[in-house]
Amino acid sequence: MRGVLVTGLGAVSPFGAGTKAYWAGLAAGACAIRPLTVVDPAGFRCRIAAEVPEIAGGSARRSRADRLALGAAVEALDDAGLGADERAGAALVVGAVGGGMLEAESWYWARSRGEHAPGWAASLRSMLPAAHAETLAHRLALGGPRHTVVTACSSGAVALAEAAELIADGVVDCAVAGGVDAVTRLCFMGFNALKLLDPEPCRPFDRDRRGMSIGEGAAFVVLEAADHARARGARAYAELAGYGMTTDAYHVTAPQPEGEGMARAMRVALAAAGVTPADVGYVNAHGTATPQNDRIEARAIAQVFGAGRLLVSSNKSMIGHTMAAAGSLEAVATILSLTHETVPPTANLVTPDPEVDFDCVPRVAREAAFEHAISNSFGFGGQNVTLLFRRA
Amino acid sequence: MLQSQRRAVVITGVGVVNAAVVGASPALGAWLRQPAPAPRSPAGGARPAVRLPEATLAGLIDPSEGRRLARVCQLTIAAGRFAVAESGVDPASGLGLVVGSELGDFTSTIAFADGYLAKGPAGLSALLFPNTVMNTMAATTAIAVASRELSLTINVPTVAGELAVARAAAAVAGGRVDAVLAGGVDELDPLVAEMLDALGDDGVRGEGATFLVLEAETVARARGATILGRISGAAWRSMPARPWGVGRRVASRAIEEALSRAGRDAPGWLYLSASGDAPRDAWESRVVAAALGARRAPAAALGGLLGHHAGLGALQVAAAAWTARTGLLPERGGGPPERVGGCGLVHGLGRGGGHVAVIVEAE
Repeated sequence: MRGVLVTGLGAVSPFGAGTKAYWAGLAAGACAIRPLTVVDPAGFRCRIAAEVPEIAGGSARRSRADRLALGAAVEALDDAGLGADERAGAALVVGAVGGGMLEAESWYWARSRGEHAPGWAASLRSMLPAAHAETLAHRLALGGPRHTVVTACSSGAVALAEAAELIADGVVDCAVAGGVDAVTRLCFMGFNALKLLDPEPCRPFDRDRRGMSIGEGAAFVVLEAADHARARGARAYAELAGYGMTTDAYHVTAPQPEGEGMARAMRVALAAAGVTPADVGYVNAHGTATPQNDRIEARAIAQVFGAGRLLVSSNKSMIGHTMAAAGSLEAVATILSLTHETVPPTANLVTPDPEVDFDCVPRVAREAAFEHAISNSFGFGGQNVTLLFRRA
Repeated sequence: MLQSQRRAVVITGVGVVNAAVVGASPALGAWLRQPAPAPRSPAGGARPAVRLPEATLAGLIDPSEGRRLARVCQLTIAAGRFAVAESGVDPASGLGLVVGSELGDFTSTIAFADGYLAKGPAGLSALLFPNTVMNTMAATTAIAVASRELSLTINVPTVAGELAVARAAAAVAGGRVDAVLAGGVDELDPLVAEMLDALGDDGVRGEGATFLVLEAETVARARGATILGRISGAAWRSMPARPWGVGRRVASRAIEEALSRAGRDAPGWLYLSASGDAPRDAWESRVVAAALGARRAPAAALGGLLGHHAGLGALQVAAAAWTARTGLLPERGGGPPERVGGCGLVHGLGRGGGHVAVIVEAE
């Protein structure tokens, strides 16, 4: 099996366009969760979200999510310095959930009022999750294997694991992989219906947490076979040394109470990377801030790593839960925590939950050097993914 | 070097639920001997489509279970259970799941939105919301068949079923998991039919689910499983095309790579993804001709009989295993099956440019 290196990073986050803006926001412990403007929150208990302040990615005729994806993928490709020939053979794996649903909703809302919405054919064409991959491949001339994975909130992390597998198996030398989601009415309304949203910015791992905040964004990375990257003199941020993907097979929305599937994903990732729990210094947690999920994730982490020793933090306290983008945005944060030797904090964490027996890095980033870090992502349907990164 | 380390992948179970076939591989084989077009009925949109009778599905899912499941999830579970039962695989020993779908659960998505549009926030259903996420079929099926290893839902126009099988075969071949339940599913919704009309997709539409159990050959033989066929090569690539569009380029490495992985120079016969979507079907013909040239072989296509849906690609892989076993290639313009030999190529080319090639052989 070939080693897989991360040689390009791209992010469009609620802190703005670009990986630098993203890391600056995380490292500062800034909270980008603000009043919601993209959709009308009237009548809902929660009226906040972490929106991307300015959308790059070209024509406004494209869906908001397509533009988020393009902005991040272009940055990652430029960062990696891949040439046209390499792009032509590169794989593309996209994690997505909402697709271009925001625009399709506008069409459907207008249709329900008996109105004709302009641009409806384009909005239908870009409505499905697969549309992002088609747009990226077409615009960026990516001609290798291409697929779109939908594993709910772990989609972005699954995309990285899928791409790494294509490289490790020798199918391709390099791949562009990541996740994207824009705020949509369906998502905002749905989590309201489930009563999972906090009216205030979310507080992962806090004793008084009351639920999640939704967000939007995109992050893509360029993954490359180690031999290929070294041959062309590429800079490597980190090695994607292992990953684990498991399923709870327990409940459509609730995680298995003991965190068995989560723990199994972490153990599979450790085994794949050939490292022990003691080798890992930081867990970038899924950390949604719902009372149940944080407790179960902490339980699973403790099963694998033992209580107390690790640094654990949640980016969602700053950028909200960016759905299909969460896994890849948090993977980028994990990689940058290795390169900057700094752990981003858990913002809004005031009173640590006594049932979470870890240092969750409250409010202020922490300098810390370590060789390995993991990023956890868990989705509806008990879809658990752990990515393990090694310092390059 | 890497290919020589890969494990052989075999098919040990098949499950089909659509308007023409319900059951495991014997039911599919019986239909393939004399494949008749499934009846079409109004289904929204401009043209009749192939719908699964509600009574058929009701007979497959226990009412108490069905009440909690969306219709497309019921289709998935019913087909998945047929495949797992025929295979005899023990999910506790490690079973993955790969679901291909083009449309997911649009019916629930529309119902969820309609609830809000009718009554505002009070009209929103917390039960419907999880179904708006396309992995809902995988989530419910994983519970139903106790699949606890990797679980993927793959979304791509036209070729979701073929791609799910190809992706699952790669996972087994690479040693990530010993067995995977893989296939595709879609259901018809009147609004979706209307939207597809608007996008210029004029193929015959259908609905249903087909799933296969793929296993590492060594593992399947060790437990004495019946081998229904062998996936000896699979590859997927992408062709330049706009979203939901049909492209012009014809050069792709998918077919050559799949043949190379199988150690074959040419297929003896083909199953094509043609389903009456004229521009796409014509593009597929050109791509296959460019890849095979003089090596072109007899071809079948079942999309016109069953209606296109994401289960169709997986069904054609199962049909190819039947052809490899029997030497019979069905649906040759209404005539009797044609005698063929060698390996088969299941070919899919989708709107948007997804391109899949799967090589199937007899045991």
